Amino acid sequence: MLKYILGRFGAMLLTLFLVMTLSFLIIRLMPMSLFENPEVDPVIQKLLEAEMHLDKPMVVQYYYFVKGIVTEGDFGRSVKIRPGMEVFKVLASKIRPTVLLNVLSLVIAIPLGIIAGTVAALRNNKLTDTIISFLVVIFISVPSFVFASLLQYAFTFLWPLFPTLYDPAAPNLAATLHSLAMPIIALALNPIATIARYLRGELIETMSSEYLLLARTKGLTRAQATVRHAFRNSLVPIFNAIIPLITAIMGGSMVVEKIFAVPGIGGQLIESILAGDHFLTVAGLIYYSAVSLATILIVDISYGLIDPRIRVGGTK
Amino acid sequence: MLDPHNLPDEIRDLPDAGFELAQTGEIKDEVFHTKPIGFYRDALQRLRKSKASMVSFWIIVIIILLALIVPNITGYTYMEQDTSKKNLPPKIPGLESLGIADGSQILTNRRRDSLDNPDRFPEGSVIRIVREYELSGVPVVDVMVDYYTFVGVDDDVYHWMGTDYLGRDLCTRLFQGTRVSLLIAFFAVLIRIVIGVIYGAIAGYYGGKVDFAMIHFAEVMDGLPYVVVTILFMILLGAGMFSIILAMTVTGWIGTSRLIRAQFYRFKGREYVLAARTLGVTDRKLIFRHILPNTIGPLITKAMIEIPGAIFSEAFLAYIGLGIKPPNPSIGILLSNGQSVLLQYPYQTLFPAVLISVLMVAFNLFANGLRDALDPTRRGED
Amino acid sequence: MPKQQNDTTGNSAIANDIILKVADLRVSFRAYGGRVQAVRGISFDLKRGETVAIVGESGSGKSVSVKTVMGILPGNAIIESGEVRYGGMDLTKVSEEKFHEIRGNRIGLIFQDPLSALNPIMKIGKQITETLRLAKKMSGEEARAKAIELMAAVHIPDPQRRFNQYPFQFSGGMRQRIVIAIALAGDPEILICDEPTTALDVTVQSKILELINEIKRERHLSVIFITHDLGVVANMADRVNVMYAGKIVEAGTTEEIFFSPAHPYTWALLSSMPDLQTKERLQAIPGAPPNMIYPPAGDAFARRNPYALKIDMEKEPPYFRLSDTHYAATWLAHPKAPKVEMPAVLRARIDRMKRSGMLNG
Repeated sequence: MLKYILGRFGAMLLTLFLVMTLSFLIIRLMPMSLFENPEVDPVIQKLLEAEMHLDKPMVVQYYYFVKGIVTEGDFGRSVKIRPGMEVFKVLASKIRPTVLLNVLSLVIAIPLGIIAGTVAALRNNKLTDTIISFLVVIFISVPSFVFASLLQYAFTFLWPLFPTLYDPAAPNLAATLHSLAMPIIALALNPIATIARYLRGELIETMSSEYLLLARTKGLTRAQATVRHAFRNSLVPIFNAIIPLITAIMGGSMVVEKIFAVPGIGGQLIESILAGDHFLTVAGLIYYSAVSLATILIVDISYGLIDPRIRVGGTK
Repeated sequence: MLDPHNLPDEIRDLPDAGFELAQTGEIKDEVFHTKPIGFYRDALQRLRKSKASMVSFWIIVIIILLALIVPNITGYTYMEQDTSKKNLPPKIPGLESLGIADGSQILTNRRRDSLDNPDRFPEGSVIRIVREYELSGVPVVDVMVDYYTFVGVDDDVYHWMGTDYLGRDLCTRLFQGTRVSLLIAFFAVLIRIVIGVIYGAIAGYYGGKVDFAMIHFAEVMDGLPYVVVTILFMILLGAGMFSIILAMTVTGWIGTSRLIRAQFYRFKGREYVLAARTLGVTDRKLIFRHILPNTIGPLITKAMIEIPGAIFSEAFLAYIGLGIKPPNPSIGILLSNGQSVLLQYPYQTLFPAVLISVLMVAFNLFANGLRDALDPTRRGED
Repeated sequence: MPKQQNDTTGNSAIANDIILKVADLRVSFRAYGGRVQAVRGISFDLKRGETVAIVGESGSGKSVSVKTVMGILPGNAIIESGEVRYGGMDLTKVSEEKFHEIRGNRIGLIFQDPLSALNPIMKIGKQITETLRLAKKMSGEEARAKAIELMAAVHIPDPQRRFNQYPFQFSGGMRQRIVIAIALAGDPEILICDEPTTALDVTVQSKILELINEIKRERHLSVIFITHDLGVVANMADRVNVMYAGKIVEAGTTEEIFFSPAHPYTWALLSSMPDLQTKERLQAIPGAPPNMIYPPAGDAFARRNPYALKIDMEKEPPYFRLSDTHYAATWLAHPKAPKVEMPAVLRARIDRMKRSGMLNG
């Protein structure tokens, strides 16, 4: 088990390192507008460049770049959006709404998806199942930003039940959540559908499994057998489905944050991309990579803990 | 139960003729009466039986046809600007009289008396007053106008889906954009598959150290979050159709390569492949004639499943400002532009939103149907 | 492996003590092409303390019959007619809410494939104790003690340690022992074995059969033994029902079925049974089983039967009584039928079996 975790952890570090390297190359390959500014005195520019190690060979620059991130969390400074401000600080100020939005979307999606998937499986091929399966296809197919537009128009404009945009000055958590409700729902629909679809498939498969039959022939009621064997066993593979969900939520969050003016990392990232503030962009991307890699790691480890075939050292 | 020595009459007196041996010749194993049908014919038959797949298929065909035809027949081009016709609402001949898509728009908070001013409200532009009220004693109205007349456009001008902030015809742009989005999706998936097939085939066919190195390289690449990689490459390559396709391919081929490699491992141990090998068939011939044909089914499925994903990626990139170069439209660009004026001009978002949704649903359903048809053992899984 | 038939006196004393009776059972399945008539009017009974075998090819309806007895038919199955009498009840009419009290506690079932019959992510111990705790409301300690005792009874070495292991840590034979322990946990009086050794290695098969015989003796079980392999039956069963296309075509004591088979299908089965002495080629049964959506008229086996009479093609044969315990549904038993002898190869084989005392060893 320890070997398994260490292996996963190593893979994660390697990937993060790769992201950093790619980011570095891209920053250096892009024209750095800050230093093309004709108003800056050439002497000052030289000094600035020296301070940022830009006068040294690429390999050395790379060393300082990685060292800065690893030892001090120094991603450089914002060039355009918040000139001179440390990128790390810019991001830190944006993290709360993003985390709130993404975590809540996932927290809503998991139980709802499980309920929908279970109901569909238990009512297999009946009308309820058909309706759920139809909605599932819609929610999986239609992008979250299309839902975001739809919800924004319908529930903040036609029937103004919610504020059109995020309210950064909300006096309390309830008000914050009220102004986040639409983006949360827009982001949760796809994960709900994905979980429901996955669980429905798993449940239908386990319900026709021999071990469920055995559970019933040994005297469990249908309900006991379903909950203790079918349901429990079906939830294990659901863990694997959560990884792509988290990346999907984080990706969708970029656009949804922009639509609802949520001052989060996603909106910030779009802004910095549009402005060509590459240090900020790279830091945002590394944040996304780190979070999604960390979730993969956590999911993998918990998967290992749940499934005895991995935990007790058998093969998967 | 009958005692053979004491049978009821009707049994005892059965005609003698029945008690002769019936089988004369040798008994053959059952011959199948139906003609054997090939795998793909069989799959096609299964696909045809799935209503959802067939409806989806025709929707996709219709959208492709629309994308090919509409931009050529609207009488506008996707880039033709006319700032005198900014943000016109939809107006469709024939539907006007029904009160939908009649080019009308509600203008809010206008002074009551300005309605009589022909400079502000040209002759015949006011359709009806929606609401009348007073603001600090000044009479104010919300008024529904024929927006085309209101801005002074000729009566015979029609923009089926309205125009955008530069006065460009949105119908033309939408279907031009569909063309672009579909092209991007198609080529991105095609390139992914070509690279994936080559990579997977080499790894799977040669195995051993080559395979080990290749598969580990792919693993590491696959660890990179797709969104991050795509954005990084888009920044590097700059806006444009070619950049999008390339950015979507950077790690997009890995899934296919894995599939192909697995197929190779499955088939290369088969007797007929071994037999061909012992007969001295060359590697290349073996790959193309004996192994690859078996991978076509899963590949088609994979391609169909990836197309909606690619359409989504394009729209996503457009939203975050990394789309194709203006003035070219794409579904994503239109959505993103529409979103910025959603509350004022909802129709600018509505049409691309409906189109991308229908397209995605249709592709997903069709891909599911295709997968079920090509792999009946997985039927019912989603 | 001597079969437990030495208590003949006991057997005759309880000869009429019928514990389970299946009468004229008909089961079909709704399918795309129509209704598959899986079981077409079978009757048999199980006496206390005996083992009854049901033998037939796959698709003959033998598994469907026992699934009906267990009340675990899939949703698209329809019980058309007939009844399953057990303990004063008709099991075909017992509601699902009541049936779980019968399953496991009064009738136990052993599956064909122990690999898929155990929940892969639940500890063995928990799988055994589950019903004890849920249905019998035992305490954790009690249930554990009983489970370990059961595991010892089915000869699982080191049951204390094994109790906390998962199915993937067991070999196929060991898993089947676990499945047997689970089936025994509720102290059933009837044990149904549905091809219990088919999925196992040949070397393990005989050990499992031995175990089934052992627990049957020790726990005074009545056993219904389903198999496609007549060879297995010889050492297990007191009586044998041969099924073909949803019907019992011949029934009798094991001796009668092996030494004086009357139905050509039984001949075919016996001829296709591998044994070490036979030097001739094994006789495969020609043709394929009929399509059970449209079962053929007359004797369903007629079209594959070299000894078929013309009447077999048209009129369904009734059961002819050959002895008090032996009957067969074949027109060959009719006085008017030509005297047809079983194949010479089979005759020789039976003689050899008799000499070697294969049955009453």
